[in-house]
Amino acid sequence: MKKIIILLGLIGFIATSCEDELTIFPEDSLSVPTFFQTEEDFTQAINGTYAPLRNLYDQEKPFMAEMSSDNTYFARNTAFGATENNQDIADHSMITEGGITPNGNVQELYRDLYRIISRANQVLFTIDEAEFDETAKANIKGQALFLRAFAYFDLVQFFGSVPMHLEPVLDREGAALPLSSSDVLYTQIVSDAQAAIPLLPLKSEQEPGRVTSGAAQTLLANVHIVLQEWAAAETQLKAVVNSGEYMLMPNYEDAFSGNSSNKNNMESVFEVQYQEGADGLQGSFMYQFLPRPIEADEVALLFGTADAQPINGQGNNIPTPDIIAAYEDGDLREDGSIMYIETRESFWNDGIYPIIKKYVEPHAQHNNHGINFPVYRYAEVLLFLAEALQEQGKDGEAITYLTQVRTRAGLGAHTGDLGDAIFRERRVELAFENKRWFDLLRTGQAISVMTEFGDRVINNPNDYYLPEGVPAAGNAFTNIRELYALPSSESELNPNF
Amino acid sequence: MKKKSYRISWKFLFVFGLLWGITMQGQDVTITGTVASASDSQPLPGVNVLVKGTTRGAVTDFDGNYSIVAPDANSTLMFSYIGFTTQEIPVNGQSEVNATLIEDATSLDEVVLVGYGTQIKREVTGSVQTVDLTELADIPVTQVTEKLQGQLAGVQITQTTGKPGDGINVRIRGQLSISGGSDPLYVVDGFPIAGNINTLNPAEIEDITVLKDAASTSLYGSRAANGVVLITTKQGKAGQTNISFNVSTGIQSVPQRGRLDMMDAVEFAQFKKEYYEDQGDPVPDIFQNPSQYEGRNNDWYDAMLRTAPMSIYSLAVSSSTEKFRSSMVAGFTDREGVVLGSDWRQYTLRANLAYDLSDKIQIGLNVAPSWVIDRDPRTDGTRGQGILFNALHTWPIMPIFNEDGTRTEFNRFPADTGNIFAYANWLNSAERIKDKTENLNLLSNAYVEYKPIEGLSIKSTLNAEFYRSNYEFFSPTNATYRINRPIPTNNEAIWDTRNTFSWLNENIVTYTKSIGEHNFSILGGFSFQKFRLDRDRLQASNFADDRLPVIQGATDINRNGTFNEIEENSLVSAFSRLTYNYKGKYLLTAAVRADGSSRFGSENRWGTFPSVSAGWIVSDESFMENSEAISLLKVRSSWGITGNNNIGDYTQYALVDNVIENRTANAVFGDTFAQGAAVSSLSNPNLGWETTEQFDIGLDLSLFNDRISFIYDYYTKNTTNLLFEIDVPRESGFEDFSDNIGEIRFWGHEFSLNTVNTTGKFRWTTSANISFNRNEVVALADGIDQVFGPNNWHITQVGQPFAQFYGHLSDGVYLNQADLDSSPQVPGRSTVGSIKLIDVNGDGVITRGGLNDDRAITGNPFPDFTYGITNRINYGNWDFSVVGTGSHGNELLVRHLFSTTNLDGVFNLLKDVENRFRSVDNPGDGFYGTTVGGGRVTGIERDWINDRFVADASFFNIRNITLGYTIPKLEKYFKSARIYTSIQNVYIFTKYWGGPNPEVSNQNDGQGDGGNLQPGVDLTGYPVPRIVNFGINLNF
Repeated sequence: MKKIIILLGLIGFIATSCEDELTIFPEDSLSVPTFFQTEEDFTQAINGTYAPLRNLYDQEKPFMAEMSSDNTYFARNTAFGATENNQDIADHSMITEGGITPNGNVQELYRDLYRIISRANQVLFTIDEAEFDETAKANIKGQALFLRAFAYFDLVQFFGSVPMHLEPVLDREGAALPLSSSDVLYTQIVSDAQAAIPLLPLKSEQEPGRVTSGAAQTLLANVHIVLQEWAAAETQLKAVVNSGEYMLMPNYEDAFSGNSSNKNNMESVFEVQYQEGADGLQGSFMYQFLPRPIEADEVALLFGTADAQPINGQGNNIPTPDIIAAYEDGDLREDGSIMYIETRESFWNDGIYPIIKKYVEPHAQHNNHGINFPVYRYAEVLLFLAEALQEQGKDGEAITYLTQVRTRAGLGAHTGDLGDAIFRERRVELAFENKRWFDLLRTGQAISVMTEFGDRVINNPNDYYLPEGVPAAGNAFTNIRELYALPSSESELNPNF
Repeated sequence: MKKKSYRISWKFLFVFGLLWGITMQGQDVTITGTVASASDSQPLPGVNVLVKGTTRGAVTDFDGNYSIVAPDANSTLMFSYIGFTTQEIPVNGQSEVNATLIEDATSLDEVVLVGYGTQIKREVTGSVQTVDLTELADIPVTQVTEKLQGQLAGVQITQTTGKPGDGINVRIRGQLSISGGSDPLYVVDGFPIAGNINTLNPAEIEDITVLKDAASTSLYGSRAANGVVLITTKQGKAGQTNISFNVSTGIQSVPQRGRLDMMDAVEFAQFKKEYYEDQGDPVPDIFQNPSQYEGRNNDWYDAMLRTAPMSIYSLAVSSSTEKFRSSMVAGFTDREGVVLGSDWRQYTLRANLAYDLSDKIQIGLNVAPSWVIDRDPRTDGTRGQGILFNALHTWPIMPIFNEDGTRTEFNRFPADTGNIFAYANWLNSAERIKDKTENLNLLSNAYVEYKPIEGLSIKSTLNAEFYRSNYEFFSPTNATYRINRPIPTNNEAIWDTRNTFSWLNENIVTYTKSIGEHNFSILGGFSFQKFRLDRDRLQASNFADDRLPVIQGATDINRNGTFNEIEENSLVSAFSRLTYNYKGKYLLTAAVRADGSSRFGSENRWGTFPSVSAGWIVSDESFMENSEAISLLKVRSSWGITGNNNIGDYTQYALVDNVIENRTANAVFGDTFAQGAAVSSLSNPNLGWETTEQFDIGLDLSLFNDRISFIYDYYTKNTTNLLFEIDVPRESGFEDFSDNIGEIRFWGHEFSLNTVNTTGKFRWTTSANISFNRNEVVALADGIDQVFGPNNWHITQVGQPFAQFYGHLSDGVYLNQADLDSSPQVPGRSTVGSIKLIDVNGDGVITRGGLNDDRAITGNPFPDFTYGITNRINYGNWDFSVVGTGSHGNELLVRHLFSTTNLDGVFNLLKDVENRFRSVDNPGDGFYGTTVGGGRVTGIERDWINDRFVADASFFNIRNITLGYTIPKLEKYFKSARIYTSIQNVYIFTKYWGGPNPEVSNQNDGQGDGGNLQPGVDLTGYPVPRIVNFGINLNF
């Protein structure tokens, strides 16, 4: 019996000492309590905050902000099953019930923007507690504020009201917030962008590709312009112009990034950074922007890839006859922006389609390129400034900025109403840069312009890449709305909408 | 093949010669005699006769006669025979010893294995069932679990794919979970293993005991909720030396029954011709004259298949001396697959040793290494992932061979033929793609047991399992498993190595004591188990030379597929059981286990799992003692709580990761790579195990001296705290929050019946079982009353059974304009002749998803009942057995229809599509709609999963027939020699039309267990072969 007691005692002893054995932290991942301590941690965290931009600009945003406008349209491949998600955006035929939609692009865009926001929140929430170099800290904090403001600015323009998270979510209860009005959102966006400006370094002092004080000023000016706060916009834009950090590239075509060269050039204010290769940092948006079916040799001819593959499915973001007609005679930008390719297997007419040329750059691997996507260029800063000045009646000054842009395009003085001229100039200068839909929206023309555009498509389907005899979809242009409906997948989870 | 059979005979002769030498040593006295049955005095053939303490044995012939050589006239002979009590008779100098064997009426005093010990079978109060694996030895399968099919009530064992060495799914009492694992806990010689049960060679196993109710399993605490399978390997038996050699060899082939009836080249060309005609388009040249394809059909699927040989060898040696017992088994299995390029080989060894250091101390050691090499060139999977699926829907006008007899490399026709994908030659893919897994497993147990006083035992064990799996994949430039990849394409490789190490220390004290009529047994124990997995995965592509698929030859490393993974967990437990009975007829057992696990949240570290059970042997009461008919009547009942800790190792933590939702968090700035990270999950310090509370009531009844025995159980279980990744709004930046939520109720009835129909020379036994398992989702999370499967083909809804098929309801096609005009439509998509879906919510429009969803439950993947029946007949030297299994009322989702009935003519189609709607005057049979209108019209039919995809998959499968003959004239050389033939998967009776295997369940995500929300999906996996096998058993 004594032996049993000793044994039981021993068991009890082992049991208590084993308590430590029950705490095992993962070795192949870091976990929150041990992370967010050092400069290196926060550098990784801010880098991770940029990452969702790649996916956002690879398809959802070009579809929702460009293909939804009269600049580009969907190229229907009748041999292929429908890909309604994209076509419904081009056709403004998205199903919206009670302010929500199952459209996959809307869902992905929403997710990507909130990925940016939650990662920025994680940085902003913990960075003040951490102890490391104050300059580095300010820089990281500035980038986080910019990215959060940028994401909410997209959200408010696409959706109007959305939930506003300013702190990291820690549990299930905190995950769903009520919708904040656009006023509340804009107040926060302005406040974040303002806070970011003094924290961020000038472009010349920042690592190329990261956001700068100039980028934050341009973002803030953009917000003011949407809110029609012209003087405030002018102040920010003047600061950018006077910083001496930017100038137009002499040649329009050189304003855009190559596959691995000419990135973040002197005209670039901010662009989404990609890199070709197998690291998952690549873009593939130019492949989205091709008509189909397209043969391997046609792809190879275009991109110079060694392993070109034929591509099937549906074509997206194909320049419309409308944008082609919008270029004035002699505008060098038409050739810089649009080119024509032949697709032998296409069912549409002779198979010669216009495509977006800005982003056609030779690269090595199929469906994998390193071309950066422009977000803000100095040319837009000049056009914003011209617009802000013109709106305040400072036409003379406005014209000087407009002229800088037109001169590079090989054009002389503008004709007609200055306001209209600036708006037209934006369309051609910034074509295919995800600006057109937002421009129509903020000037109140979205519904009228798209209704007229829809009539043209329905009446002349063959001009809009539908094969002879194939009409536009039955529901095309039946649901033209200023605001995108919120994703239904979110509505199922958030009781507030 | 020729080479192989040469090898067989060489090995055979070697062993044979060796043993010949052993048996030829020293001969003294020859004894002869006859053995008969005590009940009817009939001679008994096939009785084992053994000289006690020697290796000398004989078997009685057809007339019950035997002849044996004993070393001296004072030897003792042992007579043993299945179903009879073993008898020992001293020779006492006689030259003739006759024996009469008594039918075994004492089987109820059999001892059965229960958790952490054994119990007398009649005193067991839980629901426990044992299968003697030696009875199933002839079934020519390589997985232990496959042999158990049809043998156990309440245990559903399905063969989800025919891939050699893979795809057996075991569910005890229908247990399932939303996202936790649902496989039972496998315990091999007391050691809960972490590796793959399929690496265990069935020849090493003596018997398998399945613990079903909470009273039997609760000693396994937080791992017991899915049921426990106790596996006992062969141990040396006192007083016997036995050498047994088994070899079997056979041929596997895919039966014709159930294969999908696809269009041949002529039919396909005709379909395409009609497609263009109906569309009003010019018919491409190649379809203008379908009859040109007469005699030029290319059956791609059939070309992927072959008849394949398989061979199983095992050699078992067991011997014992006064103090030392050993059992050794060596096995080799060589199984070629019926799909080109696949095969499976297994090499195993096991040595089980026990030694008595003294009367009080025994030590033991079991060591079992095994090595499995498994090759499968990506046969299973959906379109573009599995080459069988690809082959099935490749156009039959695409040539497999060139004119000169060589294989084509790939096929692609001009786009105006509607061929939008390039197809590699899948035969080349099967042979050229390397997809190999090597598993090296070392299982070992060591123990010391000390019995200081009568009734007291102190046992300490140390168990270790080392499991290494090495996966290599290489797809050269001239092969692909994907579609739309013209050859040559990019080459790619994956290396994936997993090293797992698990060890367990257990210390157990048991004390048994009887005081008067009160019998006690008490057990107490403490254990510590630790598990660690180290995984290195490397994915690379674009190798300069196909002949050098080495990492230094790769141009690109795929970061997303390249990673290290480390998983670690620990489990500290204390447990105790008290067994008490009064007079051996009032039985009571209580048990409890406390588990502390590193997997559980810091605020919820320890779980306690109690159980209690009671039994009453009614037949021992005086009022029943006189009943001649009833030999046992026992009623028993149990209650207990068990857990399921398959919740992942680090689920409780908020992790910071570099890859989130398969996308890297890295960034690039200019040309500079920048390491990135982000918080990837939400933490939950309260996370814990899934809890199952189970109640069981059962009855054991044996009649007519155990000629008929019957077992009935009714159980009800409630599983709560289900691990569930609750979706959270993405505005949080996260996908989900892991929590313990919800409740599923399970209940069921199980019946087992064993009968000895005839005895004596013609002995016929039947065992049959039938189980009815049901489940219902009682609750999910707050605010969530339904969860969809990963592809939205299933719904798990409160108030309904788990994971029901979900989709639209259909009502044929729109027959004409009037029908279309008067019926609800899919706006902009429905046309005359297109599929007509039912407007479930009555809003006049057909909608998929969203607030006005028209989808509904379309079917149930779970059976109403499953059953098994085994008949065994021994007649003289002949033995015969038939095993059948069946399932009734379960349905399958014929998911492959999205390709195999694609009306756009992109793929080859089921022949049935000939009966589609073509015009108002030629509306077809109403199943398939019009091809006119392209994807916007036809896409509804194939992409909006609907009830036409759901098919009844009830079946009865004659799983195995074995016929054996014991050769009587060889006793001079062998204790026994037997030859047999065995056919596996003889025939399936079923109405299932979606493919050959009504048990298929392709969970698509490749997660196995994780696919619980998506059961019963048919993506035409690896076909289950029929095996015709011949074998020899020799015992020395």
